[in-house]
Amino acid sequence: MIKIKETLRDLQDFYSLSFSGLLGIGRRPFYLKDALLQMDYAGAGSLLIVFIVDLFVGMALSLQLSAELSRLGLKMYIGMIVGISVVRELGPVVTALVFTGRVGAGMASELGSMALGNQVDMIRVFGFDPIKKLVTPRIVSSLIMLPALTIIGVAVSLLGGYYIAVFVSHQSGTFYWSSIRNILTIENVLAGAIKPFVFGYLIACICCYSGLSTKGGAIGLRHSTTKAVVMSIVMIIISDFLLTRLLLYVLGFSV
Amino acid sequence: MELLRADSLKKHFEVRRTFASDHRVLKAVDGVNFSIYQDRTFAMVGESGCGKSTVARLVLRLLEPTSGSVLFKGEDIFVLKGKDIKNFRKSVQIIFQDPFASLNPRRTVYDTVSEPLVIHGLTPRQKMKDAVVEIIRQVGLGPETLDRYPHEFSGGQRQRICIARALAVSPEVIVADEPLSALDVSIQAQIINLLIELKKKTKISFLFISHDLRVVQYFSDEVGVMYLGKIVEQAKTEELFEKPFHPYSEVLLASAPKIAKEEKKIERVVLKGEVPSPIHIPPGCPFHPRCPKRFAPCDKIVPELKISQGRLVSCHLWNPYE
Repeated sequence: MIKIKETLRDLQDFYSLSFSGLLGIGRRPFYLKDALLQMDYAGAGSLLIVFIVDLFVGMALSLQLSAELSRLGLKMYIGMIVGISVVRELGPVVTALVFTGRVGAGMASELGSMALGNQVDMIRVFGFDPIKKLVTPRIVSSLIMLPALTIIGVAVSLLGGYYIAVFVSHQSGTFYWSSIRNILTIENVLAGAIKPFVFGYLIACICCYSGLSTKGGAIGLRHSTTKAVVMSIVMIIISDFLLTRLLLYVLGFSV
Repeated sequence: MELLRADSLKKHFEVRRTFASDHRVLKAVDGVNFSIYQDRTFAMVGESGCGKSTVARLVLRLLEPTSGSVLFKGEDIFVLKGKDIKNFRKSVQIIFQDPFASLNPRRTVYDTVSEPLVIHGLTPRQKMKDAVVEIIRQVGLGPETLDRYPHEFSGGQRQRICIARALAVSPEVIVADEPLSALDVSIQAQIINLLIELKKKTKISFLFISHDLRVVQYFSDEVGVMYLGKIVEQAKTEELFEKPFHPYSEVLLASAPKIAKEEKKIERVVLKGEVPSPIHIPPGCPFHPRCPKRFAPCDKIVPELKISQGRLVSCHLWNPYE
């Protein structure tokens, strides 16, 4: 019984933190300096790892498609399939997973050690709202930087796909790019562009909540960081499916 | 003048149920009453886990109580909202135990000390630097430290920064939650002297939480001895140290290390057994399983905290059960 009560209380706290954190964007005072620091950490700091991971994902996808499509004599469609997969699905999801591993884990561990070191209490004693001061800048940074990183990641993936299509599968580069241009319709772009905003919000809320609820020293910190990363990954995958279903329906794709 | 009063303050935590165990409640604070007067220091002493820090967190409204109230200048702090809570936050500050963890490593001394001034809008931006320099001077730090980060300081200096941060908003009450326990003995002396000097200058009241009795004797005006979430004895500092009434206070005082030869010899009594779990508080007097003076009613009847010979004590020896 107590466990059910605890779970309900945790959920209530999580929703409260998520809404207050988001509503904080429009309320004074604005902690612009904190938000910029977080954006620097989340965006500029993650650029290299997003670049590497997305490049190799694009290359691997192109290679797999090339191997399979060559048996059917349809290798000219590599560009189109890589483009659709990356723009609508892989780009946002892979970038969000990388973002969770680097930025989400960082948020949870930083806030966790602040909570253990009484820094969060100190913020409350000063009269700050800890959610406004700590959570809102992280939500803002995730809402801006994850979509930006996703755009870069998608571009890099397409570049990786291009390299394999042209230099390994010996396809025409011009045809590859014209296929990509053809699939960049408003529906496809929207289907991929909405996801990083949702993922960014989820990652920031889950990781901040997990970090701020840290208890029990170093073991507690390990537990909350692990929980933050695992929960974020699971929620990204589930919400990706739900969003895909919803967006395909809303944007008029037939399945 | 009474600034802050805790009234029947209780904080119970529900503990997760385990296999084959009953519903369990951890009574961290169980009906505590005390007052803090202007320009006076009220100290709370007791073993680790007796609920001292929970009291500190309740007094600062960092925790909501299970029942009871904390009145600051006559107003219940748990019902304050909006501007009133902001004023309360400005009036009551805290110094935490661990100066290493309680400072943000990414903020300079200037950022740390100016932060509360900015929040409460106490100083115009153009005069901020002068105000911060003035505050850190009070705690013995120079202006050259303003742009330095916490990792560049020693433990004592960091605690000075924490004190400066607490002083920035000119509070009326400072809760010092074991402010010396993470420091070397030589540094402890410096910090306690600094607190005494500040107290003389600023007339700030303190809730001083410690398990170091020498420091409490030196710094406080009144002492509350806590055991398993309750105050078992409350008296003026000199009276308590002269003659403790409660057997637990006696043992605590006897166990404090002494150096001076002329101090009167107190027979050292070593308590047997562990502190009982606050989840399973013994029936009767909570101290009776370890008490060297226990007798018939102690394991059956809970003693009340009553006045006996001018001080509050919760023991059947001093308040015979009628």
